Amino acid sequence: MNLILDPLAWLILLPLLWATLAFVATDRYGPRLAIAGLVGQLLCAAMLAQDVASHGSIGHLAGGWAEPLGIRLFADGLSAVMLLLTQGVALALVLYARSYFSQATPPAFWTLTGFLIAGMNALFLSGDLFNLYVTLELVGLAAVGLVAAGGGAAQIAAALRYLLATLVGSGAYLFGVALIYGSYGTVSASLLGQLINAEAPIAVWLAAGLMLTGLLLKTALFPFHFWLPPAHGGAPAPVSALLSALVVKASFYLFLRLWLGPFAALTEAQPWLAQLPAALGASAILWGSWQAIRADRLKVLIAYSTVAQIGYLFLIFPLFGTGALALQAGILQVTAHGLAKAAMFIAAGTLIKVSGSERVLGVAGAAVHLPVTLFAFALAGVSLMGLPPSGGFLAKWLLIDAALDQGHEWIAGIAIAGGLLAGIYVFRVLRLAFRVTIADDEAAPLRPAAVLEWTALALAAASILLGLFAMPLINLLAGVTR
Amino acid sequence: MKRFVRWLSILALTVLAGALLLAISSLPPAPVKLAGEVAANLAVSGVSHPVTAVLLNFRGYDTFLEVAVLIIALLGMLAAGLPPPPPTGSRNAMLPTLARLAVPLMVLAAVYLLWAGAFRPGGAFQAAAVLAAAAVLLHLAEIQGPWPDNARGPRLAIAGGFLLFLAIAAALLVNGGLLRYPPEQAGLNIVLIESGLSVSLAVNLAAFFLLRAPKS
Repeated sequence: MNLILDPLAWLILLPLLWATLAFVATDRYGPRLAIAGLVGQLLCAAMLAQDVASHGSIGHLAGGWAEPLGIRLFADGLSAVMLLLTQGVALALVLYARSYFSQATPPAFWTLTGFLIAGMNALFLSGDLFNLYVTLELVGLAAVGLVAAGGGAAQIAAALRYLLATLVGSGAYLFGVALIYGSYGTVSASLLGQLINAEAPIAVWLAAGLMLTGLLLKTALFPFHFWLPPAHGGAPAPVSALLSALVVKASFYLFLRLWLGPFAALTEAQPWLAQLPAALGASAILWGSWQAIRADRLKVLIAYSTVAQIGYLFLIFPLFGTGALALQAGILQVTAHGLAKAAMFIAAGTLIKVSGSERVLGVAGAAVHLPVTLFAFALAGVSLMGLPPSGGFLAKWLLIDAALDQGHEWIAGIAIAGGLLAGIYVFRVLRLAFRVTIADDEAAPLRPAAVLEWTALALAAASILLGLFAMPLINLLAGVTR
Repeated sequence: MKRFVRWLSILALTVLAGALLLAISSLPPAPVKLAGEVAANLAVSGVSHPVTAVLLNFRGYDTFLEVAVLIIALLGMLAAGLPPPPPTGSRNAMLPTLARLAVPLMVLAAVYLLWAGAFRPGGAFQAAAVLAAAAVLLHLAEIQGPWPDNARGPRLAIAGGFLLFLAIAAALLVNGGLLRYPPEQAGLNIVLIESGLSVSLAVNLAAFFLLRAPKS
């Protein structure tokens, strides 16, 4: 293999390169740089997934130094799936954003998007707890910048609240890393697995608590979701989509990695601990859905739906007992929700742009004016509800299967109840959309650019088709060792 | 309710602080001795100061990403909207004279810090901090005016050092790893990277003060 074309390294270098070039050009060639870069990154992610499928896990020693001295990057099936999802969704969103912001792009939008994607890719590829902290800062600060960009007072306030939440979260994480370094003298995730298994002083329990709680804050799991609805609901549609579909999944990914990797010895010693994230996840599903059902503004409704859908991700933790089923269910949910939520937010962005109203009531009549966008919204809703044959259905099916297998009937019950609640808030929007407004002398609303409609439809269709063509993904995840 | 939450948080934080004290006071000796590893490999790292060896060689990848974090911090400020320029005309007459005297010395000190980093405390970040302070001093003395949002020069300078770092990281992939220096050229690579970073980071830090919205 040609060393200089190592796809793993270029997944980190490419977005940093185009983001920096966009910075020099004051965002002028931003869209072109972003699209060209993301096409290259998507190729790299596909090559990496291919390599992982045939070789298992792939390592890369940054600087050529072995652990504990250096930083080891690695990719396995889990990282490969996250990377594919990130590049794929980001490419569609960038195409959408180019048209959505045709009048006025928020300052530094393209540069921040590039750094955000670079941070996420670096996070999915890192095997070093301190390096992971640096990637968390890249992702967190870039995301806060995107929320603040070009907004009024309300948006800056949401960005500041988000900044405080994300800083407290990464601060707690860093505190934990310091405790771990003090206890073992290394921050390499793979070495720590064996060391913690051999001996776990109190400091490590504290470190695990601080790090995992910090990540829950960043993932916005109930009751740490307070910052999410204003940040995701108030930002411009492409930014909301990036944040809801991808950014919250990055900290979830790290939570999952720590749970299954370095801290596996702790979570296996006290199996009841796994009930905590599951209980919070169940509360998130109920509370988020209820708030989505009551929401007055369309994007706040979708943001609360994210709060609820994140809940599902944490239902898998008591179910790791047998095989890869729980992990497959969780990551399939990450993928299906990522595609569907990106589609839903940008569809909502188009609906709001055309109707001029941010309220849920503003969608009235959309079935006539914007059939393609509304169809995308509905397809995304089908995946969120978990109706067959969508990716959301397959994820819930696997989850319920794993739950019944392990005798956790309540988890299966919550999963089904969450689907019904999602049905209520999705149909609340759809019912209004089909209500034909009586137009006296109203001119037909402006037609949005075709790319705004078709990117949403492509993402929504992908979330449905995922249910039919999930086998390669499931196979990739089957090879993930704990 | 608010009072209840406040007392509850105070209680929780006190318990956490107590637990931390207890945990830290009973830490066992660390099984991995990283300092020994650093010392053993210092000879092939290209520099003789262990901190520089860790920052630019053993964990150079961390430093690479941290430079990006600094650029993002600046972008956050650009995104939220630049602060207005400070009022002018009330300056002390001594200040410009003093600035003209101090700035050349500060530049000299920065170059020394950069050069010293190879064998004693110092390096790009310290040199950049001194250079940035010099720029801020010139700005306060009204010798250097504010930079507009879209000024190309500062952006080129900030990006330049980072792009050089990125180019070296990418070129060294031929050795089989990001930033994997051949041992005999490690020193040269580190000097190149640190020189670029001194300028980039200095302009980046100075930009927090000098980038100002145009006077309306």
